[in-house]
Amino acid sequence: MVYFILKRLVQSVFVMLAVALLAFSLFRFVGDPVSQMTGTETSVEDRERLREELGLNDSFPVQFGRFSGDMLRGDFGFSYRTRQPVAEMIATRIPATLELGIVALLISLVVGIPAGVYTALRPRGFITQTILMTTLIGVSIPTFVIGIVLIFLFGVQLGWLPTFGRSGTVDFGVWKTSFLTVDGWRSLILPALTLGVYQLTLTMRLVRAEMMEVLRSDYVRFATARGIPYKNLYFKHALANTMIPVITIIGLQFGGVIAFSIVTESVFQWPGMGLLFLESIRFVDIPVMGVYLVVIAFFFVLVNMLVDLLYLVIDPRLRVKEAA
Amino acid sequence: MTISKYLRGTALAGVAMLAATATMADTFRYATTTDPQTLDPHAVNSAPVLSFLNNVYEGLVRRGRGMAIEPSLATAWAPLEGENGWRFSLREGVTFHDGSAFTSADVMFSYERASNEASDVRSWFSPVTEVRVVDDFTIEFVTNAPNPLFPDSIANFMIMDSDWAAANDSALPARDAENFATRNSNGTGPYQITARDPGVMTRLSQNTGWWDDDFGNVTEAELTPIGNAATGLAALLSGEIDFIEPVPLQDVAQVEGRDGFKVLEGEETRVIMFGFGHEHDALLYSSDVTDTNPFQDARVRMAAAHAINIDAIDRVVMRGKIDAASQLVPAGISGYSEANSDRPAYDPDRAKALLAEAGYPEGFSFGLKCTNDRYINDEAVCRAAASMFAAVGLDAELSTGPVRDYWNQLRADEFDMYLLGWSPGTFDHEHPIRFLMHTQDDKKKLGSWNFGNYSNARVDELLPLIQQELVPATRQSMIDEVVAITQEEQAYIPLYVQPLIWAMKENVDVTQRADNFFMLRWVTVN
Repeated sequence: MVYFILKRLVQSVFVMLAVALLAFSLFRFVGDPVSQMTGTETSVEDRERLREELGLNDSFPVQFGRFSGDMLRGDFGFSYRTRQPVAEMIATRIPATLELGIVALLISLVVGIPAGVYTALRPRGFITQTILMTTLIGVSIPTFVIGIVLIFLFGVQLGWLPTFGRSGTVDFGVWKTSFLTVDGWRSLILPALTLGVYQLTLTMRLVRAEMMEVLRSDYVRFATARGIPYKNLYFKHALANTMIPVITIIGLQFGGVIAFSIVTESVFQWPGMGLLFLESIRFVDIPVMGVYLVVIAFFFVLVNMLVDLLYLVIDPRLRVKEAA
Repeated sequence: MTISKYLRGTALAGVAMLAATATMADTFRYATTTDPQTLDPHAVNSAPVLSFLNNVYEGLVRRGRGMAIEPSLATAWAPLEGENGWRFSLREGVTFHDGSAFTSADVMFSYERASNEASDVRSWFSPVTEVRVVDDFTIEFVTNAPNPLFPDSIANFMIMDSDWAAANDSALPARDAENFATRNSNGTGPYQITARDPGVMTRLSQNTGWWDDDFGNVTEAELTPIGNAATGLAALLSGEIDFIEPVPLQDVAQVEGRDGFKVLEGEETRVIMFGFGHEHDALLYSSDVTDTNPFQDARVRMAAAHAINIDAIDRVVMRGKIDAASQLVPAGISGYSEANSDRPAYDPDRAKALLAEAGYPEGFSFGLKCTNDRYINDEAVCRAAASMFAAVGLDAELSTGPVRDYWNQLRADEFDMYLLGWSPGTFDHEHPIRFLMHTQDDKKKLGSWNFGNYSNARVDELLPLIQQELVPATRQSMIDEVVAITQEEQAYIPLYVQPLIWAMKENVDVTQRADNFFMLRWVTVN
């Protein structure tokens, strides 16, 4: 187990380096940081001096070597835009993104799994058809449109929920949490819903498909014949067997949720990593973009590892194999 | 915030919120698209930073509601006798937010700080050869030549407390890593910053010890950057913020159509124009003319100008909110040339005739480069212009891109014709002549935004004379001459003056200044 985790962590370093290399090879096409950092009246000479100071005149291998070398030493550099330490900028934004992602994931699981089971058990019911239709609409509308529609409905027309930002946070050292105040939850609802809709649909459809598959299997028929109560049968025996593929997909999707919360964060002005990344692209803030992409790569590796570990918890057969 | 809203807000938020709402009730909340990236007044010469910091820091002079300069930390200024330069008499009894007194030592320190290599505003001081402290409240700036515009050019030169900077290790603007002044401030201005979370929110409260009384009634304010236009609009319409700028043209009707909100429209000082690759020997993006550059012929440039129907652009793309421009500054800016206020008329026949005369009766194709996120509806303007060019045989291959890569491409000469917007930083006509009309000269720091390197010996000769002339009428006649030359040669095609659109709640009164600076001290909430 420990060996497995260590192996994955070592692998993650290589993944991150590969991502950094790819990212760096693209940065030169994003734009020119120096014209973003200086005003119109700054002389050509001063601009050139700044470019030299930042090492932007160095060759690509030199720049990349410097960046990855600094990263490996734990030095994440300073933002071109704000001059703040990048590590601090990203660290203060991580809680917002993670909390948003986790609530979005919870919404998708809490609604998606029961809905998936229900639609599998009553495939032809009216409610099933309604649910399937609604979620189909939900998944085919782009995230930012969903976000804007929710904002105008609940924020502007009804005035129930805030339209932007992350208010009501409580500090725990570096971690600012929304979970402890009513205000925090109110500003979390709309963005989490927006981010969770796609996940929810996916979870529901996956659970439904797996469940229908399992319900046709022999052991369910035998169990039915034996007179095991339906509630037990469906939610304990059948559902557990659908969970392996569901967890795989959800787990991988969660990495995606964290990485692609950019759109939701921008629509709701949610101060997470995604918003920071967008601002950084606009400003060609290379150090922040680089570190963000590497951190996201690390998240993906981490989530994949957690998924693998969860298999062990859910499937007893794997535990036996591991022990042997 | 009305009482009923106050109650409803409190009821919804629950008891946990009670403590917070008491202070929230009179906070003025406003939003802009870009967060000021630093609080250091000498680190970045960009509008979002300088606009915001003008609420916190002050200069020797400041711009009033009508953009004219007026006394601020200096009470009076006069040219030096016997040498070139200016003497400033400083205001006595002014204190910084931390309580320390303002003296000429702070001005001297700020000058040294702002003119250092690490500063992005040092170009303001390139004419300065020496600064002398005469006494605690008198300081002299010596310039290398007569410089009537010097006081105007330092309206955004903000004074920082020397002791505070020294005590906090911020003697120079942060170049690499941040320093204390990046996230903290200590000015003399009407507001002081009480909380700051970069990119998320900045809170200000009134400096009750401020020396002036030109002050509205906002005692607490909170700035939130909202990058997404639709989100900003929703935040205003839901009542969560009181003021937002800018508002996209297409959303103006939405705001005006609702009770309780209003839109304030004005003109920015920014003129939008097309520029040419004057010094290019051949077109770079043409499919038919590749061995020569037709735009070197003034008749071809003139033809392009006559092809533009500015009224149609106004009607179709800019929703009737623009005024046509005849020169590189809008009317009302000092040095505006009344004598040359006609722009080339929309006349496709004349354009075709001029092209035929220049040897291109069938026209030719060329590359037109535009931004798509810098100016209001910039891409749509270029699309409209391209179809107007096409109507006279000028086949524009339009390529658009974000501004973050744009200046780089223009500096690398990757264009045949390009879009540019220019706002004169000094609010004087000399500014665009220096940056856009004078031949490129890196050594003298002239013509640095003259991407196509338009060059005319007489214009080059006139620029220093304009800069040094003290008699207004003589100066104006020289500017008139420059405008006449550049119009005759059609150095650029000035298109229109960019509109300025702010939106706010009905009960908020603000003053819109043409440089798009937002002054909290001019805000009144009724």
